[in-house]
Amino acid sequence: MSASAAQKVDPAHATLWARRYPGHDMIGTRTFGFWLYMLTDAMVYAALFATLGVLSHVVNLAGGPSSSAFINPVYAYGETITLFLSVLIYGYSMVALKNGNRGGVIGSMFAAMLLGVVYLVIAGIDIGNMFAHGIVPQVSGFLSIFFTLIIYHALHILVGVVWMLVMMVQIAREGFSANVVYRLINLRLFWHFQAVIWTFVFTFVYLQGMVA
Amino acid sequence: MTEHTQNPLNHPEVQLANGRAYLASFIISMLLMTAGLWLAVTHITTPFGTVLVTSLLAGVVVIIQGYFILHMDISHAQMWHTVAMVLFLPLFVVTIGLTAWMFHGLYQRTMIMPPAASSVINIPPMPSMSH
Repeated sequence: MSASAAQKVDPAHATLWARRYPGHDMIGTRTFGFWLYMLTDAMVYAALFATLGVLSHVVNLAGGPSSSAFINPVYAYGETITLFLSVLIYGYSMVALKNGNRGGVIGSMFAAMLLGVVYLVIAGIDIGNMFAHGIVPQVSGFLSIFFTLIIYHALHILVGVVWMLVMMVQIAREGFSANVVYRLINLRLFWHFQAVIWTFVFTFVYLQGMVA
Repeated sequence: MTEHTQNPLNHPEVQLANGRAYLASFIISMLLMTAGLWLAVTHITTPFGTVLVTSLLAGVVVIIQGYFILHMDISHAQMWHTVAMVLFLPLFVVTIGLTAWMFHGLYQRTMIMPPAASSVINIPPMPSMSH
């Protein structure tokens, strides 16, 4: 304060505001908007987990099996490994983007997409096995929310896989234009958010379901 | 959100990518989720103990993933993402916590429990209105 007060301020050159408009931050605005959207998606998950908590009660089994009777931890663990690996490799794709390496972005994204497909295959086998044993959503309130939750999550993975496919085409056609870059950042937010959601699904549906 | 840059690759949200942080998040998440699976498979603790410990493990994993891969920090580029997330936290607590609390009381006061669950019914009678 004293240092600045000691200097004489020339009113002709003092600047109290930016002389020119710094420009609209298109990328930052759009990624922030998408992040708000992801948080509303998290609210849908919060409602689903609240429903799971309510319908996990023994009065909602309606004569059907409890989750400890049919959950196969091998499938759930396989889904954990493939999804977390896919998220890691998508992260490496973003490191390649930072370095402007187009081949690295596409290659890593292809690997992340393949792991997403493997996740969907494991989830499909798991759900198919349950259906084959008569464990279907209409049996009880608990099974309804169980399948709603895991299928809603699998649909997110499907959307992510399709989105990665679209982005690989867009990178090949347009390179790293501002539009492609903000979509890649949004896809990063989306895909990495699925790892956080899966942590909750794996813990509260599968692990705690096994001891219920 | 920051000032405009000409080259989109110079945008701070591109430049914050960090391979070592992503690898650290992967390794820690896998270790803690594997520990949770081991607890659930071996039944080494009581069911309530398993629920408690796996919930704690999930909480730690989510904080680590939030910091390392979702970049929830107070840097200039990410500040508003973090603020938005923090403002949503009470909504999650209200949605899940109040629902669970309300139905827990409702079930015990209104539902006929199956025989296997009858041991958990230990509710004092509702206070009489005549007092």
